Amino acid sequence: MRRIPWVALATLLALLGLRVAALLEPVSGLLPGCAFKRLTGFACATCGLTRCVMALGRGDWREAFHWHPVAAVALALLPLAAVWDVRRAWRADPYPGLPASRAARLSVWAILVAAWALQVARGI
Amino acid sequence: MNLPFAASFRALARPGAAFGAPPPGLGRAVREMVLVWVPLALVNAAWTTWRGIQAYDALRRGAVPPWLLGWLGTDPADIHELLSALPAPPAFGQVWPWLLLAVPFGVLGTWLHHAVWDHMGLWLLGGLKEQRGFRTSLVAEAEALRIAAVGTLLGLLGFVPVLGVVVALPLMLLDAYLWLFRGFALAARHGCEPWRGLAATVVHAVALGCCAMGLLAFMLFMVGWTG
Repeated sequence: MRRIPWVALATLLALLGLRVAALLEPVSGLLPGCAFKRLTGFACATCGLTRCVMALGRGDWREAFHWHPVAAVALALLPLAAVWDVRRAWRADPYPGLPASRAARLSVWAILVAAWALQVARGI
Repeated sequence: MNLPFAASFRALARPGAAFGAPPPGLGRAVREMVLVWVPLALVNAAWTTWRGIQAYDALRRGAVPPWLLGWLGTDPADIHELLSALPAPPAFGQVWPWLLLAVPFGVLGTWLHHAVWDHMGLWLLGGLKEQRGFRTSLVAEAEALRIAAVGTLLGLLGFVPVLGVVVALPLMLLDAYLWLFRGFALAARHGCEPWRGLAATVVHAVALGCCAMGLLAFMLFMVGWTG
Protein backbone atom coordinates (compact mmCIF):
# COMPACT_ATOMS: atom_id res chain seq x y z
CA MET A 1 0.00 0.00 0.00
CA ARG A 2 2.91 2.37 0.73
CA ARG A 3 4.06 1.98 -2.88
CA ILE A 4 0.78 3.42 -4.20
CA PRO A 5 0.91 7.22 -4.71
CA TRP A 6 -2.70 7.95 -3.77
CA VAL A 7 -2.31 11.74 -3.85
CA ALA A 8 -0.70 11.61 -7.30
CA LEU A 9 -3.54 9.39 -8.54
CA ALA A 10 -6.09 11.83 -7.09
CA THR A 11 -4.26 14.67 -8.90
CA LEU A 12 -4.57 12.79 -12.20
CA LEU A 13 -8.27 12.29 -11.48
CA ALA A 14 -8.65 16.03 -10.75
CA LEU A 15 -6.95 16.89 -14.07
CA LEU A 16 -9.30 14.51 -15.85
CA GLY A 17 -12.21 16.21 -14.05
CA LEU A 18 -11.05 19.60 -15.32
CA ARG A 19 -11.00 18.27 -18.89
CA VAL A 20 -14.55 16.94 -18.44
CA ALA A 21 -15.60 20.31 -16.96
CA ALA A 22 -14.32 22.03 -20.10
CA LEU A 23 -16.48 19.70 -22.22
CA LEU A 24 -19.54 20.57 -20.10
CA GLU A 25 -19.08 24.32 -20.58
CA PRO A 26 -21.85 24.60 -23.24
CA VAL A 27 -24.50 23.35 -20.78
CA SER A 28 -23.20 25.29 -17.77
CA GLY A 29 -25.77 28.00 -18.46
CA LEU A 30 -28.50 25.57 -17.42
CA LEU A 31 -27.17 25.49 -13.83
CA PRO A 32 -29.66 27.23 -11.55
CA GLY A 33 -27.04 28.50 -9.07
CA CYS A 34 -26.55 27.82 -5.39
CA ALA A 35 -29.70 26.74 -3.53
CA PHE A 36 -28.22 27.99 -0.21
CA LYS A 37 -27.72 31.46 -1.68
CA ARG A 38 -31.20 31.41 -3.17
CA LEU A 39 -32.68 30.54 0.24
CA THR A 40 -30.61 32.82 2.46
CA GLY A 41 -29.28 35.52 0.16
CA PHE A 42 -25.72 34.72 1.28
CA ALA A 43 -23.05 32.78 -0.61
CA CYS A 44 -22.10 29.37 0.76
CA ALA A 45 -18.47 28.35 1.31
CA THR A 46 -18.33 26.64 -2.08
CA CYS A 47 -20.12 29.36 -4.08
CA GLY A 48 -18.01 30.13 -7.14
CA LEU A 49 -16.47 26.66 -7.19
CA THR A 50 -18.27 25.56 -10.37
CA ARG A 51 -17.27 28.75 -12.19
CA CYS A 52 -13.72 28.31 -10.85
CA VAL A 53 -13.56 24.76 -12.23
CA MET A 54 -15.04 25.86 -15.57
CA ALA A 55 -12.41 28.61 -15.83
CA LEU A 56 -9.65 26.11 -15.04
CA GLY A 57 -11.05 23.82 -17.75
CA ARG A 58 -10.34 26.69 -20.17
CA GLY A 59 -6.93 27.22 -18.57
CA ASP A 60 -7.91 30.69 -17.31
CA TRP A 61 -6.19 30.81 -13.90
CA ARG A 62 -6.87 34.51 -13.34
CA GLU A 63 -10.63 34.02 -13.62
CA ALA A 64 -10.46 30.80 -11.58
CA PHE A 65 -8.72 32.72 -8.77
CA HIS A 66 -11.39 35.40 -8.94
CA TRP A 67 -14.25 32.90 -8.50
CA HIS A 68 -12.73 30.81 -5.69
CA PRO A 69 -9.23 31.82 -4.49
CA VAL A 70 -8.85 28.95 -1.99
CA ALA A 71 -9.83 26.24 -4.49
CA ALA A 72 -7.61 27.76 -7.20
CA VAL A 73 -4.59 27.87 -4.88
CA ALA A 74 -5.28 24.34 -3.65
CA LEU A 75 -5.49 23.06 -7.23
CA ALA A 76 -2.30 24.92 -8.14
CA LEU A 77 -0.51 23.16 -5.28
CA LEU A 78 -1.76 19.69 -6.30
CA PRO A 79 1.11 19.00 -8.78
CA LEU A 80 3.64 19.75 -6.03
CA ALA A 81 1.82 17.37 -3.71
CA ALA A 82 1.78 14.76 -6.48
CA VAL A 83 5.55 15.01 -6.98
CA TRP A 84 6.09 14.70 -3.22
CA ASP A 85 3.78 11.67 -3.15
CA VAL A 86 5.53 9.90 -6.03
CA ARG A 87 8.85 10.39 -4.22
CA ARG A 88 7.29 9.08 -0.98
CA ALA A 89 5.87 6.02 -2.77
CA TRP A 90 9.20 5.36 -4.51
CA ARG A 91 10.91 5.27 -1.11
CA ALA A 92 8.02 3.27 0.40
CA ASP A 93 7.73 5.79 3.23
CA PRO A 94 4.45 5.87 5.18
CA TYR A 95 2.20 8.90 4.91
CA PRO A 96 2.90 11.32 7.75
CA GLY A 97 0.12 11.71 10.31
CA LEU A 98 -1.91 14.90 10.49
CA PRO A 99 -0.32 17.42 12.89
CA ALA A 100 -1.52 17.00 16.45
CA SER A 101 -1.31 20.68 17.35
CA ARG A 102 -4.44 22.63 18.09
CA ALA A 103 -2.97 25.59 16.16
CA ALA A 104 -2.89 23.55 12.94
CA ARG A 105 -6.52 22.49 13.36
CA LEU A 106 -7.65 26.00 14.18
CA SER A 107 -5.74 27.29 11.15
CA VAL A 108 -7.69 24.99 8.84
CA TRP A 109 -10.99 26.03 10.48
CA ALA A 110 -9.91 29.67 10.05
CA ILE A 111 -9.12 29.12 6.36
CA LEU A 112 -12.52 27.47 5.80
CA VAL A 113 -14.39 30.26 7.61
CA ALA A 114 -12.28 32.96 5.90
CA ALA A 115 -13.00 31.43 2.48
CA TRP A 116 -16.69 31.53 3.25
CA ALA A 117 -16.54 35.11 4.59
CA LEU A 118 -14.61 36.20 1.51
CA GLN A 119 -17.22 34.76 -0.84
CA VAL A 120 -20.04 36.37 1.17
CA ALA A 121 -18.28 39.75 1.33
CA ARG A 122 -17.64 39.78 -2.40
CA GLY A 123 -21.20 38.67 -3.19
CA ILE A 124 -19.98 35.76 -5.31
CA MET B 1 -32.08 -19.69 15.62
CA ASN B 2 -29.96 -16.85 14.33
CA LEU B 3 -31.69 -14.53 11.89
CA PRO B 4 -29.67 -13.19 8.95
CA PHE B 5 -28.00 -9.91 9.88
CA ALA B 6 -28.99 -10.40 13.55
CA ALA B 7 -25.53 -9.24 14.66
CA SER B 8 -25.85 -6.12 12.50
CA PHE B 9 -29.25 -5.27 13.98
CA ARG B 10 -27.86 -5.80 17.51
CA ALA B 11 -24.94 -3.48 16.74
CA LEU B 12 -27.26 -0.84 15.34
CA ALA B 13 -29.46 -1.08 18.44
CA ARG B 14 -26.50 -0.71 20.81
CA PRO B 15 -23.90 1.32 18.88
CA GLY B 16 -21.94 2.22 21.99
CA ALA B 17 -21.07 -1.42 22.61
CA ALA B 18 -20.78 -2.48 18.95
CA PHE B 19 -17.05 -1.90 18.63
CA GLY B 20 -15.79 -3.18 21.96
CA ALA B 21 -13.91 -6.18 20.54
CA PRO B 22 -10.32 -5.75 19.30
CA PRO B 23 -10.29 -4.38 15.74
CA PRO B 24 -9.74 -6.80 12.85
CA GLY B 25 -6.90 -6.32 10.38
CA LEU B 26 -7.52 -4.04 7.41
CA GLY B 27 -7.68 -6.90 4.90
CA ARG B 28 -10.21 -8.86 6.92
CA ALA B 29 -12.35 -5.78 7.62
CA VAL B 30 -12.50 -4.87 3.91
CA ARG B 31 -13.15 -8.47 2.84
CA GLU B 32 -16.07 -8.81 5.25
CA MET B 33 -17.49 -5.43 4.20
CA VAL B 34 -17.31 -6.36 0.50
CA LEU B 35 -18.83 -9.83 1.07
CA VAL B 36 -21.84 -8.36 2.89
CA TRP B 37 -22.35 -5.06 1.08
CA VAL B 38 -21.62 -5.86 -2.59
CA PRO B 39 -24.39 -8.49 -3.04
CA LEU B 40 -26.94 -6.20 -1.38
CA ALA B 41 -25.77 -3.20 -3.40
CA LEU B 42 -25.97 -5.28 -6.59
CA VAL B 43 -29.59 -6.24 -5.88
CA ASN B 44 -30.42 -2.62 -5.07
CA ALA B 45 -28.65 -1.28 -8.19
CA ALA B 46 -30.26 -3.91 -10.45
CA TRP B 47 -33.73 -3.17 -9.10
CA THR B 48 -33.20 0.62 -9.32
CA THR B 49 -31.93 0.32 -12.90
CA TRP B 50 -34.78 -1.97 -13.97
CA ARG B 51 -37.41 0.36 -12.47
CA GLY B 52 -35.60 3.39 -13.92
CA ILE B 53 -35.66 1.91 -17.43
CA GLN B 54 -39.36 1.10 -17.05
CA ALA B 55 -40.17 4.63 -15.84
CA TYR B 56 -38.15 6.23 -18.62
CA ASP B 57 -39.84 4.05 -21.27
CA ALA B 58 -43.27 4.90 -19.86
CA LEU B 59 -42.36 8.59 -20.00
CA ARG B 60 -41.28 8.23 -23.65
CA ARG B 61 -44.65 6.67 -24.44
CA GLY B 62 -46.36 9.73 -23.03
CA ALA B 63 -47.37 8.45 -19.59
CA VAL B 64 -47.25 11.88 -18.00
CA PRO B 65 -49.63 12.52 -15.08
CA PRO B 66 -52.32 15.08 -16.03
CA TRP B 67 -51.54 17.17 -12.94
CA LEU B 68 -47.95 17.52 -14.12
CA LEU B 69 -49.06 18.67 -17.55
CA GLY B 70 -51.33 21.22 -15.87
CA TRP B 71 -48.53 22.36 -13.58
CA LEU B 72 -46.13 22.85 -16.48
CA GLY B 73 -48.75 24.97 -18.24
CA THR B 74 -47.51 23.84 -21.65
CA ASP B 75 -49.50 22.41 -24.53
CA PRO B 76 -49.74 18.62 -23.82
CA ALA B 77 -49.20 17.87 -27.53
CA ASP B 78 -45.83 19.68 -27.40
CA ILE B 79 -44.80 17.71 -24.30
CA HIS B 80 -45.77 14.38 -25.90
CA GLU B 81 -43.90 15.27 -29.08
CA LEU B 82 -40.81 16.20 -27.06
CA LEU B 83 -40.98 12.97 -25.02
CA SER B 84 -41.52 10.71 -28.03
CA ALA B 85 -38.36 12.16 -29.60
CA LEU B 86 -36.25 10.90 -26.67
CA PRO B 87 -33.93 7.99 -27.50
CA ALA B 88 -35.09 4.48 -26.58
CA PRO B 89 -33.72 3.13 -23.27
CA PRO B 90 -31.22 0.26 -23.37
CA ALA B 91 -32.53 -3.22 -22.53
CA PHE B 92 -31.81 -4.36 -18.98
CA GLY B 93 -29.83 -7.26 -20.46
CA GLN B 94 -27.38 -4.77 -21.92
CA VAL B 95 -26.96 -2.87 -18.67
CA TRP B 96 -26.58 -5.52 -15.99
CA PRO B 97 -23.03 -6.66 -16.93
CA TRP B 98 -21.91 -3.07 -16.33
CA LEU B 99 -23.49 -3.16 -12.88
CA LEU B 100 -21.30 -6.14 -12.01
CA LEU B 101 -18.31 -3.92 -12.72
CA ALA B 102 -19.60 -0.61 -11.38
CA VAL B 103 -21.11 -1.73 -8.06
CA PRO B 104 -17.94 -3.23 -6.49
CA PHE B 105 -16.00 -0.13 -7.57
CA GLY B 106 -18.77 2.03 -6.14
CA VAL B 107 -18.65 0.18 -2.82
CA LEU B 108 -14.88 0.52 -2.51
CA GLY B 109 -15.02 4.14 -3.67
CA THR B 110 -17.69 4.98 -1.08
CA TRP B 111 -15.62 3.33 1.65
CA LEU B 112 -12.51 5.32 0.70
CA HIS B 113 -14.49 8.55 0.34
CA HIS B 114 -16.07 8.16 3.79
CA ALA B 115 -12.71 7.27 5.34
CA VAL B 116 -10.94 10.34 3.90
CA TRP B 117 -13.64 12.85 4.85
CA ASP B 118 -14.47 11.37 8.25
CA HIS B 119 -10.77 11.17 9.12
CA MET B 120 -10.37 14.82 8.18
CA GLY B 121 -13.50 15.73 10.18
CA LEU B 122 -12.20 13.82 13.19
CA TRP B 123 -8.87 15.62 12.96
CA LEU B 124 -10.59 19.02 12.72
CA LEU B 125 -12.49 18.17 15.91
CA GLY B 126 -9.41 17.00 17.79
CA GLY B 127 -10.45 13.33 17.78
CA LEU B 128 -7.11 11.89 16.64
CA LYS B 129 -5.69 12.15 20.12
CA GLU B 130 -3.86 8.85 20.10
CA GLN B 131 -2.44 9.39 16.62
CA ARG B 132 -3.59 6.00 15.37
CA GLY B 133 -3.52 7.19 11.77
CA PHE B 134 -5.61 6.85 8.64
CA ARG B 135 -5.36 3.05 8.61
CA THR B 136 -7.45 2.99 11.80
CA SER B 137 -10.11 5.09 10.08
CA LEU B 138 -10.10 2.71 7.10
CA VAL B 139 -10.72 -0.26 9.43
CA ALA B 140 -13.40 1.60 11.42
CA GLU B 141 -15.23 2.64 8.27
CA ALA B 142 -15.11 -0.90 6.84
CA GLU B 143 -16.53 -2.30 10.10
CA ALA B 144 -19.28 0.32 10.28
CA LEU B 145 -20.23 0.04 6.61
CA ARG B 146 -20.47 -3.75 6.87
CA ILE B 147 -23.05 -3.30 9.63
CA ALA B 148 -24.77 -0.34 7.93
CA ALA B 149 -25.15 -2.41 4.72
CA VAL B 150 -28.31 -3.75 6.33
CA GLY B 151 -29.77 -0.35 5.40
CA THR B 152 -29.36 -1.30 1.73
CA LEU B 153 -31.43 -4.41 2.45
CA LEU B 154 -34.16 -2.43 4.21
CA GLY B 155 -33.98 0.19 1.45
CA LEU B 156 -35.37 -2.44 -0.93
CA LEU B 157 -38.70 -2.03 0.89
CA GLY B 158 -38.93 1.36 -0.79
CA PHE B 159 -39.57 -0.43 -4.11
CA VAL B 160 -42.65 -2.29 -2.85
CA PRO B 161 -45.82 -0.68 -4.24
CA VAL B 162 -47.81 1.29 -1.62
CA LEU B 163 -45.49 0.13 1.20
CA GLY B 164 -42.70 2.11 -0.45
CA VAL B 165 -44.59 5.36 0.07
CA VAL B 166 -45.42 4.47 3.69
CA VAL B 167 -41.83 3.67 4.63
CA ALA B 168 -40.23 6.54 2.69
CA LEU B 169 -39.86 8.81 5.73
CA PRO B 170 -38.67 6.06 8.15
CA LEU B 171 -36.11 5.00 5.54
CA MET B 172 -34.82 8.57 5.32
CA LEU B 173 -34.46 8.67 9.12
CA LEU B 174 -32.68 5.31 8.99
CA ASP B 175 -30.30 6.70 6.36
CA ALA B 176 -29.50 9.62 8.67
CA TYR B 177 -28.85 7.24 11.58
CA LEU B 178 -26.65 4.97 9.47
CA TRP B 179 -24.63 8.02 8.41
CA LEU B 180 -24.03 8.95 12.06
CA PHE B 181 -23.41 5.31 13.01
CA ARG B 182 -19.94 5.47 11.41
CA GLY B 183 -19.07 8.00 14.10
CA PHE B 184 -19.36 5.32 16.83
CA ALA B 185 -16.86 3.11 15.00
CA LEU B 186 -14.46 6.02 14.48
CA ALA B 187 -14.68 7.07 18.13
CA ALA B 188 -14.16 3.51 19.41
CA ARG B 189 -11.19 2.75 17.16
CA HIS B 190 -9.50 6.14 17.65
CA GLY B 191 -10.12 6.14 21.40
CA CYS B 192 -11.94 9.46 21.53
CA GLU B 193 -15.33 10.52 22.89
CA PRO B 194 -18.34 9.33 20.82
CA TRP B 195 -19.53 12.91 20.23
CA ARG B 196 -16.34 13.68 18.30
CA GLY B 197 -16.89 10.67 16.02
CA LEU B 198 -20.51 11.62 15.44
CA ALA B 199 -19.60 15.28 14.85
CA ALA B 200 -16.92 14.19 12.34
CA THR B 201 -19.61 12.56 10.22
CA VAL B 202 -21.69 15.74 10.54
CA VAL B 203 -18.74 17.89 9.37
CA HIS B 204 -18.42 15.48 6.44
CA ALA B 205 -22.16 15.81 5.69
CA VAL B 206 -22.04 19.63 5.82
CA ALA B 207 -19.01 19.75 3.49
CA LEU B 208 -20.70 17.31 1.13
CA GLY B 209 -24.00 19.16 1.43
CA CYS B 210 -22.42 22.44 0.33
CA CYS B 211 -21.18 20.77 -2.86
CA ALA B 212 -24.21 18.57 -3.40
CA MET B 213 -26.81 21.30 -2.89
CA GLY B 214 -26.03 22.85 -6.25
CA LEU B 215 -26.08 19.43 -7.92
CA LEU B 216 -29.41 18.57 -6.29
CA ALA B 217 -30.92 21.86 -7.40
CA PHE B 218 -29.60 21.19 -10.91
CA MET B 219 -31.17 17.73 -10.96
CA LEU B 220 -34.52 19.07 -9.72
CA PHE B 221 -34.34 21.75 -12.37
CA MET B 222 -33.64 19.15 -15.08
CA VAL B 223 -36.48 16.93 -13.85
CA GLY B 224 -38.83 19.90 -13.96
CA TRP B 225 -37.52 20.92 -17.37
CA THR B 226 -37.81 17.49 -19.00
CA GLY B 227 -40.86 16.32 -17.05
